Amino acid sequence: MSYGLSVFKSDGSLGFSTADVTWQTLDQFTVAANASVSNTYNEASGMTIIAQRQMVNVPPNSQEDYVPNVSISGTTVSVAPQSGLSSSQCIIHVLAQDT
Amino acid sequence: MAYGFEAKNDSGNIIINDTIENLHFVGKATRGSNNSDYGSFPGYGGSNNSLDGRVIHYYTITCSGTPVAFIKPTDYARWHGIIKQSVSGTTWSFDVMISGTSTSNPPEIYCFVNADDVPSTSETHGMIVFKSDGTTKTFDSRVQPLAITGGANAVAPSDPTNSSGLPGTSTGHSWNYSSNDHDFKCTNRYNEYTDSNINTSNTMFSCPSLAQAVYKRQQHGYKESCGFLGCCCQDHHSTAAWWVMYRSAFRLRTNKFDAGWSVYAAGYSFSSSFESGGWFGGGGGSYSTGSMPYTAKTINLQSNAYIIADSSRYD
Repeated sequence: MSYGLSVFKSDGSLGFSTADVTWQTLDQFTVAANASVSNTYNEASGMTIIAQRQMVNVPPNSQEDYVPNVSISGTTVSVAPQSGLSSSQCIIHVLAQDT
Repeated sequence: MAYGFEAKNDSGNIIINDTIENLHFVGKATRGSNNSDYGSFPGYGGSNNSLDGRVIHYYTITCSGTPVAFIKPTDYARWHGIIKQSVSGTTWSFDVMISGTSTSNPPEIYCFVNADDVPSTSETHGMIVFKSDGTTKTFDSRVQPLAITGGANAVAPSDPTNSSGLPGTSTGHSWNYSSNDHDFKCTNRYNEYTDSNINTSNTMFSCPSLAQAVYKRQQHGYKESCGFLGCCCQDHHSTAAWWVMYRSAFRLRTNKFDAGWSVYAAGYSFSSSFESGGWFGGGGGSYSTGSMPYTAKTINLQSNAYIIADSSRYD
């Protein structure tokens, strides 16, 4: 790479390089069952934002467990139950990409 | 900026700064027991009996913070998905489902947390970036920061079964008829996403399984049995049903991320009844076996972000 930062492991192999990173973790938070949350990330202004959801403590067998909806508008990430449905506890992992 | 630290990549994009926290490697989860099943419908031996099968491997890791788990396949041809993540105290459990029934070649689970949640290290050299509060780390080169090399949103196709469309219910079959005419396998159903950073040697991915679907095929049979001169008729009814519960699952190919499905559970039920009385005064009765978890439907079929990274950086 022409500039940036590389970190090498003790054996000399590459452990981290800014050259090949495409997304950064912006935030990670847990939303309680049936709750709504809205967070704004001013530090990510101008970046592309995506969010990953992982339901927590719900059995994948005979139950209908509903994941909350996530909507992203500018630098605001909003989480809310699906319309008319109760939602399960969920981890939200927010990622940003400087484009 | 007035103060702090900022590192950019070759394209001039910000990769490290003093406001956005990077994830750091906290360890691989420990694999425990497994459960293998559903290479076919249990209790059924007729046509379209085959399913793709699945193995659930159970993993745990104890750590502070909330880990982001990456699946590093050992067999890249199989479909993978974290179908359940749970926590008790600081011990996190992951149920990882892979397609097929072979318990060999289980995947490895790499876990990442914020820098402040990584156990302290004796390493004396490196670079730490703090937030403006002076205490919260955003980056610590000593504890293997995560380099995310790709990502986007992905969703499985709406129909998980190789036979297209909802299998539904049919009537007019003969009494005790039971012959499945729907291919419930799902290996041909997926959406592919192109990502030039994916290989089938070192690439690992994080994309929790959200979608679940139950599909059912049901057949009703009937026969009327009458005595001499149409007297004293008896009704005979039968119902055969096959159901499969799917979870969304994912596969890595060279330059491709596939979002599809994998069977989680399946069942076959058959019931047959006949009236009592009739010309010969026979007694009524019935027979049934099997049950379905809930009504056939698809839920949580929504895009979810997937991210990929190079596992060899953390070995």
